[in-house]
Amino acid sequence: MPPRIRSSNCPPQQLLLNYLDAPLPSSLLPLHRSSAPSSSSPSCRSQQTSPQCQQQTSSFSTSQPREMTKPQREFRAFLKRMGKQFEKHEGNGPKYLCQVHQPKVDNVPFPSNKSFKSEPVLSSRARQTIWEAVMLKGMPLKAVSAQYQVDMRRVAAVVRLMEIEKRMERENAAMAIPYAQAVEKMLPRANLDSSEEEPFEPINDVHVHSFTMQQLFVPVSESREFTRKDAAKAFGDHILPPDHKMRIPELVDMEKAILNGIPQEKAEQEFLKQTRESERRFAESQKYVAAKKDAKKSKVDTERFEFRIENFNSEAVGKKGRARNAVGWRYGVPFNDRQRGLYKIPTSVG
Amino acid sequence: MRCERRILRYHSLKRGRVRQTWNKYNMYNLLRLRNSISSMGTFFQQKWAAKAATRAYHGEHIKEKQWERMFSRRLLSAVNMDPAYMAKYDGSEQAAGRGSGRDVKPGKWSKAQVARNTGNAEALTPYMQMTFAPQERRLDIAVYRALFASSARQARQFVVHGAVKVNGKKMQHPGYLLNPGDLFQVDPEKVMIATGRKKSSKSESLSTPKQPAAEEEAETAEEATEAAEQSVEELGPEQLQAQHLEGLKLLHQHAKKIIEANKEKLSGGHKKEIRELSQKIKEAMNRARKAGSDVQETGDDMQNLATLMSHLELTPTERKEFQKQQEQQASEAPAAETTSASPSAPTPLSPSPDYPQLKTRTPVPKTSTKFDKIESQILKRLLEEEKINPYDPSKPYATPWRPRPYMSAFAFIPRYLEVNPKICAAVYLRHPVARPGKSEIPTPFGTQISQLAFNWYLRRR
Repeated sequence: MPPRIRSSNCPPQQLLLNYLDAPLPSSLLPLHRSSAPSSSSPSCRSQQTSPQCQQQTSSFSTSQPREMTKPQREFRAFLKRMGKQFEKHEGNGPKYLCQVHQPKVDNVPFPSNKSFKSEPVLSSRARQTIWEAVMLKGMPLKAVSAQYQVDMRRVAAVVRLMEIEKRMERENAAMAIPYAQAVEKMLPRANLDSSEEEPFEPINDVHVHSFTMQQLFVPVSESREFTRKDAAKAFGDHILPPDHKMRIPELVDMEKAILNGIPQEKAEQEFLKQTRESERRFAESQKYVAAKKDAKKSKVDTERFEFRIENFNSEAVGKKGRARNAVGWRYGVPFNDRQRGLYKIPTSVG
Repeated sequence: MRCERRILRYHSLKRGRVRQTWNKYNMYNLLRLRNSISSMGTFFQQKWAAKAATRAYHGEHIKEKQWERMFSRRLLSAVNMDPAYMAKYDGSEQAAGRGSGRDVKPGKWSKAQVARNTGNAEALTPYMQMTFAPQERRLDIAVYRALFASSARQARQFVVHGAVKVNGKKMQHPGYLLNPGDLFQVDPEKVMIATGRKKSSKSESLSTPKQPAAEEEAETAEEATEAAEQSVEELGPEQLQAQHLEGLKLLHQHAKKIIEANKEKLSGGHKKEIRELSQKIKEAMNRARKAGSDVQETGDDMQNLATLMSHLELTPTERKEFQKQQEQQASEAPAAETTSASPSAPTPLSPSPDYPQLKTRTPVPKTSTKFDKIESQILKRLLEEEKINPYDPSKPYATPWRPRPYMSAFAFIPRYLEVNPKICAAVYLRHPVARPGKSEIPTPFGTQISQLAFNWYLRRR
């Protein structure tokens, strides 16, 4: 097909004449327009300034690259100025967005939400200290928790993770050491030194039961001592008073002893003894449960395997034959493990 | 088939949605985030806007239906009970008098007199910030919160691809809800990919030495040589010491370069020589550590090392030629200048501007034994860093590993997790709770927006 010239108010002959008469200096011509007729040459424009003439120019790729939008420009400017300090982490400590506008507000990663703070994490040294206290010195978890003001569950988790770390070190397994170093530099840390005045975290926190969040009006005689226990009972029969919910009740005993005039060192020793005793009792009970469970199984030890055989009542399958702990396949009761709309993700891994 | 929500215009500047990622656009959007929703619209409109904004951040990859099922109107909170208070009071003091505790006379108020349960902030409990607490139980979001992935979507991918273990067993469901005490572990290599700088093909290729780090090194080396040229005549002893330090650094950089260059084509001989090099460096450092040693000696060591390294850069045949040439030089001492200037002489492969500088460093004063210790420590540290975080072109991320840009603005670990970043494992300690004055849910939104969103999900449908 021959090349077509678009219908235009600029006649082609005129264009050609213009082109021949007054060629534009090369510096003024757009680069990739050598073959195109110069519709936007001055004479054409002087003759007809209709929008159609403009349209013709836009059909060629002579237009300027699209400018950045305002948000894009602002974003670029932000990256060049304020954002520059976040590009590469320097120094030994956290650097959060809040420090841009309010340098006094510390460790708030979200400028609009002041109630969430980036709280310190245990440094690698602190983790080592906890591990040594538990595994080398043999201190009870409750005592370690009380000494360093670290939640008991966290103490247990630290020991668990450190054991894995040490095993991986022994096995020469791949670890993310440069990553760990970088992350530690970016986070606020607690070394659990004696120099730190603030406790690391509350160790005796009590869950707020939803029953206790309502307002109650309980008529009580003026002469009656209305204690925490009475208040708990007023909220509901099954509601425990906070004295029973304390994670380390031995600490309360220690404080009571100190109030009764027993010297602090003696009270602390008693506390250590009590916590050790409670830990031993817990371990024993766990052992007892495991032994009881084990006793139900009869074991047949062949050379290669140990078969553990347990008795089950195959009749106890519930009303619909689908009881949770029912064993085996039952005639006429199809499995629902592929049924739609049922939750099939495991609820626990153990 | 699982249908993923599309992520077109994920970090739009125009809409300004905040997401669970470490993206720089996201950082900007986070900074621009408005604290409240305008009260111009109806209550429904306000709730809708709040829901849209919060859901764009909280589990945007989770389908709305699924989240609605997960939502719970029971917001968990905890209060610290001080053992000293518990021991001293049984709570009856709060019900004394007319039922709300005895008044303290204005003049007699003191901290010791008033029974107080310490350990809690004097502020309201931000319950409304706990709206999206159930989502923090999800495995993929916990992986993101533990800083093992740069976005929640990436964390989800890690789970789906089988890189995450829960209690030692592979768990492929991103929607698995962690139970208190669950330990999850991510493949360290995946974490390094997710959190490390991207590898640009240009910087990693060996043929083009124009990577930024190398350029910087070259610049510093040039500066050092210029400074060294001045040194002999003008500079004082302290500046000379500084140069000495600089020289040691350069030497180390050079050693690094050699190791990098030879990594892929390591023959047995090369390996042996690298071992020898490290041995020599150790010896030099030990010598420097000795109290009696002077800098003159260490300077000689450095020269030796420099020559050793220049050998390392040559291929075996070239090295033979080089040795031959040196023998010639030794025999024709007066004509040494011409041979070294001849174009046929095999030169080291990489430009090494630090050699002449090293030679100029012979006139170093002898009163710098203390400084030497510092230098040797620096060198030692550098060598150790190199050992831990080596250059390795086979890795899918830029090596030596560095954190990705803008990571620090998003780096925080909430208290309900205990993380060990070295082994890329974490324990989900307990469900997140709100305490007086602080909430444990990392949410970028203010109380008003969270409250409106909570109200949206409260309604029965």
